[in-house]
Amino acid sequence: MRAFLPRTLALLCSQRPGRLELPLARMKVKILQWHAVASWTWDAQDETCGICRMAFDGCCPDCKFPGDDCPLIWGACNHAFHLHCILKWVNSQTSTPLCPMCRREWQFKG
Amino acid sequence: MTSSSSPARKMLSKIACNRLQKELAEWQASPPGGFNYKVSDNLQRWIIEVSGAEGTLYAGEKYQLQVDFPEHYPMEAPQVIFMNPAPMHPHIYSNGHICLDILYDSWSPAMTVSSVCISILSMLSSSPAKERPADNDRYVRNCRNGRSPKETRWWFHDDKV
Repeated sequence: MRAFLPRTLALLCSQRPGRLELPLARMKVKILQWHAVASWTWDAQDETCGICRMAFDGCCPDCKFPGDDCPLIWGACNHAFHLHCILKWVNSQTSTPLCPMCRREWQFKG
Repeated sequence: MTSSSSPARKMLSKIACNRLQKELAEWQASPPGGFNYKVSDNLQRWIIEVSGAEGTLYAGEKYQLQVDFPEHYPMEAPQVIFMNPAPMHPHIYSNGHICLDILYDSWSPAMTVSSVCISILSMLSSSPAKERPADNDRYVRNCRNGRSPKETRWWFHDDKV
């Protein structure tokens, strides 16, 4: 997971602590307290799972909550899927399972 | 007493239902060229009209594909057959069954109805002659009682057509 700092917060953080210099009016701002809000996203090349076609930042059709409850998993070939989706595929295969995207032998990335 | 030629079909799973709704929405937003989905309220059976591509043996001709989805689609391939009359093609039997690996052994859950349709049109377009497979009569006789092509053990021997 990768967290992004909102722009304004990043701006504030780039200033020296406790002081914010504003270009026109010279005034001192003292930050007493701040509340950080971050967003997260999966760092996958695609936006949707190739099996269920749901967004990676959402969850597979069997889950309710994205994130740790419905994680992404990468194969040795670097293709990502919802863990629950690729497990259904791998378990449904009687012979060696192949990556649904590139047909190389499916192996979980170590 | 009644009898049905098609095997009893199980209801679509939640995943299958979800994915098909997405595929249908994507299809309606940008349908693959040469195909026309016949609107119905049955998500589990799609009827798709195919138009032969210009400059090929099938130019100006129209055929219909019947696509049936199994309970565990997309972990299992859909059953795709041509409705009567099926195009004359070295890999299409007169009962509509299609000898195309991605519909059986080489199916992948990353494929969609749209990508399957494009493969079928490409197979039609590259046909050198309008003829039936050499073993057509024997195969069709073996398929009486409405056997699904998914029960056939296919032999894929020609990757040119």
